[in-house]
Amino acid sequence: MSNLTFTLKAAPKQRIDCGSLTPDNLADKSSAEIAAIELVTGNTSARVDALFTITEGDSQSITFANSDQKLDFVGRNMTFGNILVEGDIGAYLGIFMEGGEIAVEGNTDIYTACEMAGGQIKVNGNAGDFVGGARPGRRNGMTGGTVIVTGNTGARTGDHMRRGMILIEGNAGEYCGSRMISGTIAVLGDCGAHLGYAMKRGTILLSQMPSRGIAANFNDCGSHTLAFLPLMFASFKKLDSQFANVDSFSRVQRYAGDLAGIGMGEILVKI
Amino acid sequence: MIINGVTIDETFAEAFPMKATRLIITAHDAKWAMISAQAFTGFATSVIACGCEAGIERELDGSETPDGRPGVAVLIFAMGGKGLAKQVETRAGQCVLTSPTSALFSGLDGEKDMPLGQNLRYFGDGFQISKMIDGKRYWRIPVMDGEFLTQEKTGVTAAVGGGNFLVLAESQGQALAACEAAIEEMRKTPNVIMPFPGGVVRSGSKVGSKYKALNASTNDAFCPTLKGQTKSELPPECESVMEIVIDGLTKEDIDKAMKVGIQAVCDLGAAQGIRRISAGNYGGKLGPFHFHLQEIMA
Repeated sequence: MSNLTFTLKAAPKQRIDCGSLTPDNLADKSSAEIAAIELVTGNTSARVDALFTITEGDSQSITFANSDQKLDFVGRNMTFGNILVEGDIGAYLGIFMEGGEIAVEGNTDIYTACEMAGGQIKVNGNAGDFVGGARPGRRNGMTGGTVIVTGNTGARTGDHMRRGMILIEGNAGEYCGSRMISGTIAVLGDCGAHLGYAMKRGTILLSQMPSRGIAANFNDCGSHTLAFLPLMFASFKKLDSQFANVDSFSRVQRYAGDLAGIGMGEILVKI
Repeated sequence: MIINGVTIDETFAEAFPMKATRLIITAHDAKWAMISAQAFTGFATSVIACGCEAGIERELDGSETPDGRPGVAVLIFAMGGKGLAKQVETRAGQCVLTSPTSALFSGLDGEKDMPLGQNLRYFGDGFQISKMIDGKRYWRIPVMDGEFLTQEKTGVTAAVGGGNFLVLAESQGQALAACEAAIEEMRKTPNVIMPFPGGVVRSGSKVGSKYKALNASTNDAFCPTLKGQTKSELPPECESVMEIVIDGLTKEDIDKAMKVGIQAVCDLGAAQGIRRISAGNYGGKLGPFHFHLQEIMA
């Protein structure tokens, strides 16, 4: 059975909250009921069929075609199924997501995987600021699941991240791992300034020394062979990502910080 | 039933339910993995006084271990889940954590989980690091040679303990040679251990004692020096009896191990002084698992 497809009719003038268009919410709904769902857009609302052309299909596999960066909250609270986004997508992709998979054939706006608890998000493009972060004022970002970004991420990747894994095939923006509580961020490319700013615990794994070096508030703990790294690389093998093809390594230079705080985080750089 | 001149008694071994787990100990090389495994499985011959029964199941090459290093699979059995958890924790803490270059993983997905490194992590004094990999939590505990990596939990499964058979021979040397041959074959069987020294026990026990403080005492019916003093099970020409005890994850695993073990003894045959194969039971009152020798060898 083909995907249930929402094709955007025209570029929206206002942002649209698409959080209700998930496999969970649409599981038991008829085509008419889906078409009649009201989506908040700007300071008003509109029916789904007023905004999208609906192609009937399996509600467990949803496609957003002709997507736009003004479609927000896609995959909110999702616990199962698949969402495919053809084009760019807006903010808060996969917020509160607990399971299932989201794949984006484009770029995402801010707060991708915000407070995500499980499942997988793959962005075949660039992701905006605060990937895996917490909403403003909240203290726990992502608490589980895996995010793969084939391009670059914006600033504050993993802000307040508590568990889970963010894998960045390109470059990470400034303040990567800021205020990180735990979890793992791995970067194949470069990192911006202030790497691990206010990081409490957790691991930032780098395949190369950042061009800006390591901040002064991280102390060098020396070079080591760490036994958990081969296990982690083995777990990458099943992913549709460059990380699956990275040669496993366990020799790293270990930097501990942020020593302005409790200093229990670590930056591991391949040597 | 007679096989190669060896009489197989019409009797059965009686075994009882236990709880078990499999652990995988890895290290820098096979030598240190084995040293660690031997320490972990030391003083674990019988639940009567050791609190558990443990043994080395087999050696593993790097392709079979979670971290790609050489390792050893060990099985540990106890009478209950709590007792097993206590034994695993103390042995892992004192024998594996302390062993150079070691790492410790679960080797079994059981019906339930129990702590493995869950409490050992506190040795890290706050510097320990948790890592969730593929849905399993691991602990990285900083130690003086680097990091001790251990999985947080291991599976627990229902298991069977106390499968056994007795080798009745004309001399001590012949009994030992037969048991060595049996153990060599039985160690090729997965999911079982023979927990006694070298896999062989020479002091088989019966339930109870004339002394109130003891709940087990020597199996006088099979002691050759008591043939004239007690109700002996031994023929006049039998001068030595040795026992092989088997713990397994399932009854079928013990069946297979007993079969290959008894066959190896029978292959030596009467010509090598082997007279009879018997088994220890308690009239069916001790445990629900009965291993009838003649059925196994049929």
